[in-house]
Amino acid sequence: MLRKYLSTRFVLTVLLFLSLIYAAFSVYYKITYWGFKFTPKQTSDVWTVEAHINFEPTGEPIKIFLTTPKSSEQFKVLEESVIAEGYTSKKIPSKDGVSAKMRISSPAKEGIQDVYYRVMLFDNVDAKGKTYASKPDAPEKPILDEQTEAVVKQISALAKKQDGNRVVQIIKLLNQVPADPVVQTFLPVKKTSKETMEAIRTILSYQGIPNRIVRGFKLEENRKSFAPDLMLEAYLDNKWMIYNIENAEKGLPDSFVLFQRGGESLIDIEGGQNSSVKFTVLKSVTSSLSLAGKRAKMTGHKSWFDYSIYNLPLSEQNTLKWLTIFPLAILVIVLIRNVVGLKTMGTFTPMLLSMSLIKTGFWPGLICFAVIIALGLTIRFVLSKLNLLLVPRISAVVIFVILIMQLLTVVGYQFKLEMALSAVFFPIIIMAWIIERASITWEEDGAANAGREIFYSLVAAIVTYFIISDEFIRHIMFAFNEINLVILCVVMLLGTYTGYRLTELKRFAPLVKEK
Amino acid sequence: MWNPLKCFVSPQSLRDAGVLGMNRRNFDVIAKYNNRRLYPLVDDKVQTKKLAQAADINTPKMIGVIEFQHEVKNFMSIVRDRKEFVIKPAHGSGGKGVLVITENRGSEFVQPSGKILTYHDVYKHISNILSGLYSLGGKYDVALIEELVHFSDIFKNYSYQGVPDVRVIVYKGFPAMAMTRLSTKVSGGRANLHQGAVGVGLDIKTGKSLKAVMYNQPIKLHPDTQADLSKIEVPNWREHLIIGAKAYEMTGLGYLGADIVLDADRGPMMLELNARPGLAIQIANGIGLVKRLEMIDKCFPQNLSAIERVDYVLKKADYMEGVL
Repeated sequence: MLRKYLSTRFVLTVLLFLSLIYAAFSVYYKITYWGFKFTPKQTSDVWTVEAHINFEPTGEPIKIFLTTPKSSEQFKVLEESVIAEGYTSKKIPSKDGVSAKMRISSPAKEGIQDVYYRVMLFDNVDAKGKTYASKPDAPEKPILDEQTEAVVKQISALAKKQDGNRVVQIIKLLNQVPADPVVQTFLPVKKTSKETMEAIRTILSYQGIPNRIVRGFKLEENRKSFAPDLMLEAYLDNKWMIYNIENAEKGLPDSFVLFQRGGESLIDIEGGQNSSVKFTVLKSVTSSLSLAGKRAKMTGHKSWFDYSIYNLPLSEQNTLKWLTIFPLAILVIVLIRNVVGLKTMGTFTPMLLSMSLIKTGFWPGLICFAVIIALGLTIRFVLSKLNLLLVPRISAVVIFVILIMQLLTVVGYQFKLEMALSAVFFPIIIMAWIIERASITWEEDGAANAGREIFYSLVAAIVTYFIISDEFIRHIMFAFNEINLVILCVVMLLGTYTGYRLTELKRFAPLVKEK
Repeated sequence: MWNPLKCFVSPQSLRDAGVLGMNRRNFDVIAKYNNRRLYPLVDDKVQTKKLAQAADINTPKMIGVIEFQHEVKNFMSIVRDRKEFVIKPAHGSGGKGVLVITENRGSEFVQPSGKILTYHDVYKHISNILSGLYSLGGKYDVALIEELVHFSDIFKNYSYQGVPDVRVIVYKGFPAMAMTRLSTKVSGGRANLHQGAVGVGLDIKTGKSLKAVMYNQPIKLHPDTQADLSKIEVPNWREHLIIGAKAYEMTGLGYLGADIVLDADRGPMMLELNARPGLAIQIANGIGLVKRLEMIDKCFPQNLSAIERVDYVLKKADYMEGVL
């Protein structure tokens, strides 16, 4: 008996030791050869923008022209690459010197095609303040029918009453709420940014002000699959200036990267149809991890890198970034239950709650949770009076939770309470289960015990929340994912922990005090 | 100044007192000596009862079992000749779903409180049992109909509602520790210590009370009946222990808790068994379990019959106390 018990623990200890050695080596390797860092901040101003182009080939040779960013006054292109099997790519500089084009071509292909273009950008501190300007030609006067011309003239006159320069005046007038009747004949009330852009450009061109469209992205972490943002650039008082076409703000917003200036389209595909382009933006760790591939190549450690998670497409990396933090959360729950000795509801309910808290934000999440549980428990008590059979009863609770969530979301929207909107992020089944379980405990062991169980589960969820929401910990867990293996061994070793739980030091205190 | 740390004691002092903690119970005792395959034998009261009857352990006799919804209407023929009976869920816990009938009038049934139930009331109750209303996992259950126990008057003054039972912890077939749980007004007539029931530790040799606790605090008198808890002495003590010891052979579980009630006419009867008995019994006794378990491991002879084991424990009981 003693031998068996020793050997389990012994084997697990050896495993833990081995995993520690492996992790230490791997961390060293990643830092030395791939250039990973311990702190997320050092690389936080490196961004990766990935364009995922998807289309059906028509059977002819494929040529894709994608407009790509060039180093600008704000961002410098660190590296760009095309990931597509069987395609060749070539960079074509464009005339205006701001954007460039990438030609990606291949012989005829079959089946849906996926082409990835990846560009890494970082804050170009040296170039700040230098503006790019060359005197443009006056724009071609748009050909307008009589009626439209009259409207444009009227709008130009009306715009003079607004503040700001001529461009700002026009943007403000077109965005006025409620819209001027004259403007309404020119631009629908519910306008898309594309329509607004078109209207502004028509008026500017009519007035002889050079202008062009600017496409680009506001860099925010973990933005997934969005269309490029549109901005207007107009030449006034001998310089180009960028305008936001919704609020007439001048200048480039912070962390906005230009992809393209001028009217050329973002992408042209020859030999393909039904194309779509999705963009993903990723900040910090992953960006430096993309750098790592390059580094690995230079130092001859490429093959290892190819089989690591950092070589995956960015949207997969975003998901994995989420997953690699979980083992740590699981470890926390194991510690709370088996070493501290708090009785939580179910094993992983607190973990799922903490995940929801990440999505909802801390206080809104807690308040929503409290409201859902309180309403749910009230309803469950009415249900228990009906003495329903088990499966229909639980099903009814699930449906009630869904109804409560709908109610919260609608009420929250009406009263502009954004926190109520976060209700939808809570996992329905888990909430129903908490309610069911709490009400059973309530009936069997009294309200105090039910409340205590919910409270302990919340405590565990909050502790877990603070751990998995910490940016530094998330960075470490993703960049050095071999720690997951160490955690696995620690969790298994905790499975042999036979010492007292923290709560037992209090529970069994009477047995000691008498002595 | 109030010091929250004062409620805590050091792990070392608990070790010195030989307190068995939850982790150690699960890892060193239950995982080792209780094969998970055997759990259904004690979790299902029908199986427990069949085994007990086969092993000649005194237990309320099974009158019948209703397994399927279409059999529910048969219960009238099952209880036809019975004046009194109990219907309970086979997988219930904590007394949930137990229906006691003290008088069978053919078409009406009388409960101890005097409330009269119709055929339909009982029919519905059995249907609820089958649907899993009273089994915690929500699994489909079966309804067990068994004889009514006529509780001995000995405990009458010691309990507020509810029925006191004796819990014996049996380790490798040797009775190791015992207590009785007395329900109180606070506990709502239930016998769970954490709900406020009184736990009275019983001397393993004599069945006399050692000490009594409520909410972990020592008490002298029952809070509702004011009965002197130090005067408790369980009669037929040896038979209680024998029932516990026999449960070891019956189930094969190395660590089990036997719940035993005292019938006025038929003596001690086994009500149910537990494969994961709780640790509060240590507080009720004021004694840790570890040293007793270790002593049974090291010094107690193997291959004894149940009765021999009980006699061995009774003989060595002073020695067992002395260790502590």
